[in-house]
Amino acid sequence: MAQPGRVSRRTTLCLGAAVSCLPLFHIRTAGAAGRLSVGFWDHWVPGANAVMQRLVDRWAAANKVDVRVDFITSVGSKNLLTIAAEAEARTGHDIQAFPTWEVQDHAEHLAPMDDVVGRLVSAHGRMAPLIDYLAKVDGSYRAVPAISGSQYKPACARIDIFRDHAGMDLQAVFPAAAEMGPGYDSWTWEAFLKAAGQCFKAGAPFGLPMGQTSDAVDWVGALFNGFGAELVNAAGDVTVRSDAVRQVLDYAKRLMPLLPPDVYSWDDASNNRALISGKSALIFNPPSAWAVAVRDNPTVGAQCWTHPPPAGPKGRFTPFLPYFWGVWNFSANQEAAKDLIEFLSQRAQAEALCTASHGYDIPAFAGMLDFPVWAEEGPPKGTLYNYPVRPQHHAAASIAAWPAPPDLAVQIYNQATMTKMIARVAQSGETIERTIAWAEAELSGFRR
Amino acid sequence: MSSRPSLRSERRWALWGSYAALALFAVFFLTPPVYMLITSLKTSAEIGGQAGSPWVVRHPTLQNYLDLIGNPHFRVFFFNSLKVTLCVVAVSMAISVLAAFSLARMKFWGSGVLAAGVFLTYLVPDSLLFIPLFQIIGKLGLTNNVWCLVLLFPTLAVPFCTWIMIGYFASIPKELDEAALIDGASWMQLLFRIFIPVALPGIIAATIFAFTISWGTLLYPLAYLYSSDQMVLTVGILTELIRGDVFEWGRIMAGSLLAAMPPVLIYVFLMDYYIAGLTAGATKG
Amino acid sequence: MEERRVAETLRAAGAVAASSAPWSRMSPRGGGLRRFARRRSSVAVLLCLPLLALIGGLVLYPALYAVWLAMLNKHMTRFVGLGNFLFLLHRPAFQAVILQSVIFAVSAVVFKALIGFLLAHLLHAVPGRSQRVWRGLLLLPWVIPLAMSTLGWWWLFDPSYSAFNWVLNVFGVPSVPGLGATWWARFSVILVNVWYGAPFFMIMYLAALKSVPEQLYEAAAIDGAGAWARLRYITLPMMRNILSITILFSLIVTFANFDIVRILTAGGPQDQTHIFATYAFVAGIQSGDIPLGAAISLFMLPILALGAVFVLRGITRRSAEQAG
Repeated sequence: MAQPGRVSRRTTLCLGAAVSCLPLFHIRTAGAAGRLSVGFWDHWVPGANAVMQRLVDRWAAANKVDVRVDFITSVGSKNLLTIAAEAEARTGHDIQAFPTWEVQDHAEHLAPMDDVVGRLVSAHGRMAPLIDYLAKVDGSYRAVPAISGSQYKPACARIDIFRDHAGMDLQAVFPAAAEMGPGYDSWTWEAFLKAAGQCFKAGAPFGLPMGQTSDAVDWVGALFNGFGAELVNAAGDVTVRSDAVRQVLDYAKRLMPLLPPDVYSWDDASNNRALISGKSALIFNPPSAWAVAVRDNPTVGAQCWTHPPPAGPKGRFTPFLPYFWGVWNFSANQEAAKDLIEFLSQRAQAEALCTASHGYDIPAFAGMLDFPVWAEEGPPKGTLYNYPVRPQHHAAASIAAWPAPPDLAVQIYNQATMTKMIARVAQSGETIERTIAWAEAELSGFRR
Repeated sequence: MSSRPSLRSERRWALWGSYAALALFAVFFLTPPVYMLITSLKTSAEIGGQAGSPWVVRHPTLQNYLDLIGNPHFRVFFFNSLKVTLCVVAVSMAISVLAAFSLARMKFWGSGVLAAGVFLTYLVPDSLLFIPLFQIIGKLGLTNNVWCLVLLFPTLAVPFCTWIMIGYFASIPKELDEAALIDGASWMQLLFRIFIPVALPGIIAATIFAFTISWGTLLYPLAYLYSSDQMVLTVGILTELIRGDVFEWGRIMAGSLLAAMPPVLIYVFLMDYYIAGLTAGATKG
Repeated sequence: MEERRVAETLRAAGAVAASSAPWSRMSPRGGGLRRFARRRSSVAVLLCLPLLALIGGLVLYPALYAVWLAMLNKHMTRFVGLGNFLFLLHRPAFQAVILQSVIFAVSAVVFKALIGFLLAHLLHAVPGRSQRVWRGLLLLPWVIPLAMSTLGWWWLFDPSYSAFNWVLNVFGVPSVPGLGATWWARFSVILVNVWYGAPFFMIMYLAALKSVPEQLYEAAAIDGAGAWARLRYITLPMMRNILSITILFSLIVTFANFDIVRILTAGGPQDQTHIFATYAFVAGIQSGDIPLGAAISLFMLPILALGAVFVLRGITRRSAEQAG
């Protein structure tokens, strides 16, 4: 067991120097090891799994490794159940696709990936700082940001409704071009509030969920971050009693009456349905809602335009939910597993995956944003151009509860503390101060 | 004499009252399945349009059903469910009939405690057990193997089945087995020649219960099975038809109704036995 | 008729036993084994072995392991005893979960039992053939796999395209936030649970009603007993065991319910519909604190176990009295 391990460690060092001769090497190293079982995320976009399977097969054939791929859905949190069970039992797949927070949760069972991440960054450009926040534990990367499944949640809005009722030409302000248009800088949460009011009056309110699922938490997280409202700071102190938090709650109090009254019970599919049915002028979502609109309600689909979320006093934040590929440290074939991950993260494979998912997938590396898929998808052509965070957006990829220490942040995120605060203020009519006191008690319970 | 017709009409009114009340509850009970049926006959475009009455199908289509029946995955799910359920029923019934016979008839040290204790296993919820169980399943090499359910589902079915069977066996007159034992029959002969034939309604009732449980249980297959050749119907429908934040409602509802068909058929044909089988267990317990 | 069948099988059994008798005299060692096998208590234990293996290996052992898990700290590196339970008890969020679990389970079981009892009586009054049709229709909720039918309910409750609200609107009633406001959401999850579970009660009670000897009622009618007296003095006492066992069974599984709340509300709005299993899922699986999740799941176990032991003892005592 130790022998092939040592050999392949040496060979991976060589690999760093000569990525181009990748396939040649693997015939000797990984081929000796034989078997690999992989649990990838079951992609929502039809056809994306098949491309992934083809890529894996190609690697498997070149390296004479017997690879078995299971596509595990996130529906019903099935992937979380499987990951938790595998971590407990110390058995299961060699590679798993870990949703956003899961790398932190299972870091002690994950093999370090610093070598792979280092080579990928030097070849494909830097990653969003958020990746370090989510995947680096005790100074070492425990997983590689995955192409498949990683998503942004920018705004997806109706061109016609915004033009007719909010006096805003989305395609002019957020053109599919290297520069943002005139008026981009005034696209703030205040402007957003005004537009929300106008669209509400026009009978097409914004579809912003305020339940406890991830679509709700993500956009609210971007709102909090934009106001600089931290529930827990980076040092782990509860800092919810702040003017920034009061500001954001006050803002929410003004915004919520302009939304459909039932948003408190919306789930991740409700906002999609609101957009697809044509009843809503704006949602925060990856392109899946638009794609279904194109299929089921083409007139609506052709009027959708994806663009960055508004900015707050403390900056502009786009919700980012990356997936990660990690290797269990109880896997019997870690070197081959790492090789496969590195292979899939190369430019050609990444582009194949992004294209197969019609632009849904987001590579974490800055050098990969020039894939043509986002400029070409339509109708309307270029609607996804601003789906990935681009330099001209002056936006940061962010996640709710950042920058709290991840073991606290994961609880704030999954227990939806922020949306519950807004619901308390706006739905139950509690005072802002009492809501903050409630949140303080809640947050102190997360630190155990 | 004059009271007779009024009594009869009183009875008739009572009967009509019963029918009215039953109809009221039938509306409550049948609304979801009927709405599922309505939805399953719609196209995605019609569902997505969200216009007009949701209770009306404007462009009826069987496409959702045809897609599912034509889908090879769906057929695999179906047959996996079928074979798992048949095995689970067989295993559960073997375990519970043997145990119930022993507990109902052959008192031994601790049998009373065991008979009651079996029921207490329901106190441990499956949402608690699935993590420790993964270790056992992993050690047996049954992860992502549909056969692991044949091991797991009996834990959900056996206690209740055992209870039904204890009740039924207890209702068989003691004189029968005493006579048989005096005639020199062994305990096993007693069980197979007398108890099982006599207790057939009870066995059918318990079988139906085991069938319902293993056909519909969600959590274990959700946690333990992940490749589409190993999945059973309930999980398969959830994972194949719900694509993230996009729900194929028409197809989900069609799949759900198809998944409900086998248990519905079983109940339609075996209902009388079911009730008769529960009867004995019911009063004795 | 049944008795004749029993008698016949009995004769056959006796014949087989007689014919196999010489075997035991032929080999003494086999005879010893055979004697052991014929001894009542050893056979009894042997017959229970598969059951014991199943329960011991797949319920008891993992349950004990889970108890151990529940006594570890978050990263499972340190034994903290009852620390997790004490921590939970002091959390207002968890106190709310306890309250909601009790509201959910108790009210659901009460309504299931009442509706089941009522329906069983109504069905019992309806003549044969049409009774079969009615009870087939009414059993449907119990027969459809729960996860599937809950999806159907969810779609009925869908906030933006609720089929219920559409009907309400037709009658001029404003829309109801079925899953969006605290008490409506609580009502909805209980409603679905009642919908699913009431038919099971119905069928159990119907079976019990059918087994109450008709002569008892006739005798009571001659004595001039009214409907209430018949219910009070005949039906209820005759059904006592089945009532308590179904209520116990239902209470246990309702306290452990996961599917309904998880699918319909996932605990929302504002955590007001969380029950033990769904809260354990959020804390244990989603937030990566498995010991805390295990502690939440185990929380009700001692209380329910105590209740169950009492109920089961009562049943055994009554059965013994009936037998004696």
